[in-house]
Amino acid sequence: MVLNLDGSKPIYVQLAEWLENEILNGHFDSGQKIYSQYQLAEIFNINPATAAKGLNILAEENVLYKKRGLGMFVSDEAKSIILTKRRTQTLTGLVEELAAEARRLDVSKEELIEMIKGAMTGGTEE
Amino acid sequence: MSLASMTMTEVIKKQYIYKLQAYIQVFFSLLFLQLIAVLFSLSGVATMGTSGGMVDMEIRYYSADLVVVFTMLWGFISAVLITTRAYRNDDFLFVTNRFTSNLSNMLFLLTASLIGAITAILSFYLLSIVVNLFGSDYFINNTPVLKDPVEVLLGMFSAFLYILLFCMLGYLAGTLVQVHKSFVVLLPAAFLGSLFLDLADGRAGVFAEVFKFYHSEHSILLFTVKVMVTAGVLFLVSAGLSNRLEVRS
Amino acid sequence: MNVIECKEITKSYGRVKALDNLCCTIEENKITGLIGRNGAGKTTLLKIIAGHLRQTSGEVKVFSLEPFNNLTVSANIIFLHDQVNLPTALTLKEILQTTGSFYPNWNHELANRLFNYFSFHPFQYYHGLSKGMKSTFNMILGLSARCPLTLFDEPTTGMDAAVRKDFYRALLKDYIEHPRTIILSSHYLDEIEDLLEEILVLKEGKQLLHMPVAELQDWAMTVQGKAPVVKEWTNDKQIIYSKKVGDDQMLTVVKNDFSAKERQLSREVGIELSPVTTSDLCVYLTSKSTGGIDDVFGQHDDDGGH
Repeated sequence: MVLNLDGSKPIYVQLAEWLENEILNGHFDSGQKIYSQYQLAEIFNINPATAAKGLNILAEENVLYKKRGLGMFVSDEAKSIILTKRRTQTLTGLVEELAAEARRLDVSKEELIEMIKGAMTGGTEE
Repeated sequence: MSLASMTMTEVIKKQYIYKLQAYIQVFFSLLFLQLIAVLFSLSGVATMGTSGGMVDMEIRYYSADLVVVFTMLWGFISAVLITTRAYRNDDFLFVTNRFTSNLSNMLFLLTASLIGAITAILSFYLLSIVVNLFGSDYFINNTPVLKDPVEVLLGMFSAFLYILLFCMLGYLAGTLVQVHKSFVVLLPAAFLGSLFLDLADGRAGVFAEVFKFYHSEHSILLFTVKVMVTAGVLFLVSAGLSNRLEVRS
Repeated sequence: MNVIECKEITKSYGRVKALDNLCCTIEENKITGLIGRNGAGKTTLLKIIAGHLRQTSGEVKVFSLEPFNNLTVSANIIFLHDQVNLPTALTLKEILQTTGSFYPNWNHELANRLFNYFSFHPFQYYHGLSKGMKSTFNMILGLSARCPLTLFDEPTTGMDAAVRKDFYRALLKDYIEHPRTIILSSHYLDEIEDLLEEILVLKEGKQLLHMPVAELQDWAMTVQGKAPVVKEWTNDKQIIYSKKVGDDQMLTVVKNDFSAKERQLSREVGIELSPVTTSDLCVYLTSKSTGGIDDVFGQHDDDGGH
């Protein structure tokens, strides 16, 4: 896994997302110690301070917690926090774009809802 | 993080060892120059000839004086050389300040003068061997080494002092040039100019007086004091002048 | 602790001011990138820090000491640049030994391993090396000396891409093992930005900005869309760069102080907000005008209308 270093997203954000994926994949269980900032720096060839920033984002969201002198550990609620966040953030973003595109194309609210309904039922039937 | 601290003597010692390695070319040019001087000396410093009846006699005197003079010039040029940009900044890659840099240069020049003096005096033996083998029908060896080693050592010592004097002159000249480029022109102009003026006036000028001041000193002790004091002053002036010099590359 | 503190330093060469009232501080054990155009004063600043040059006015403290003519500062700094004057009489192996003799933290094993890895020959001479090989050799000296303050001025000059990559990795690995203060000046910001913790941008001898790289990554925003709308959106912002795209489109880079609400709104009015890469941003920031080279060719129109 290589981070996308072209600068479209800050490295520490990409790093946080990568760690989230690792947790979702089950690579790290709750209560398990996660990579240290130095290990991450070494893996991705980035400054340890940047790596620490990525870890801190997750700590602020309570995905990780600190044990003084021992490092960062995966919290019990980690998976659910990540899932909720992704649902709200990613989906909201997509819906907003959808709404904007619909407005541009003169699709009415009702029509759009119908389309969504259709897509949802179509998806479940298959 | 704890800082490394180094004493001045430690740094000077390291710089001195480093300079002996890095400035090795200086000694190659010494060897070359002294060989040339020996070659020039092969024709003898003075010739005397008489002939009467059936006998033709020619006496040639040989001496290593020319080698010593060449070595003095070499000392001057080498000292100028190590003040030039190519050498002067070598220290600044490593641990240095201007004072340690000057002191280690001084140590280097002392060493160079010593080696120059020893080889210059010894070159006389080379000269006598060559003359003995190829140059002459009858060879009177007046080489004092076996007769009087003290005299040889004294010869080496005074040669050392002369060479050192020229090294320090060169060091000051080189430093002046580093302080301001115009000295490249000013120094030779002043030197030659005063020589010509003296010549035109037909009197013994400044340089002759200076030369006499050292050369006519018969007490080796006083001579040593004169040279050491002069060399010390020349060095201090150079060190003082270069103490605020920046490193330009 | 601050390793370097510069207060209002000016360095003039005749009438030209290479540094102009520069103030900056560098903290301990951070890797800082020194970025700026040619002639912005990067090398002059490094030379003053290393004690090679003396500032015309102002105050410089390195390890709380005046660097010029200071033996302690010199013993704790190694300064590598592409005009390093290594003695021509010494072989590469001898230079390694000499450098090692001067620096107490020197690690001979690391030096030797790097030396072999980059296939140097012990009996080669420095002046016979190609430009890239010289830079590589300098890098070996700089890393192995493990000085508390390591200054690299354009360390990758002439190196090919593979060696540059090796260099960055070697630097980072050794830094993680032996944290120390490192300053790197480079033209390749996009290559080094991930290594850096802080970035110090100079422009015309002054400090333009100094902040953690992570912050710089969302410090600015590109606003793109129809020219009048973009104008309206950016007129109360600090404009860093601006350019026309096609006939009626416009691209403007501004300082990023958009609220979440504004971001949301932008989609509705047909404006695209996107992040700016750090290296692009530095190019924009350090350019003399807001339109860049286009200004020279008169394509940029300040009033926008036609």
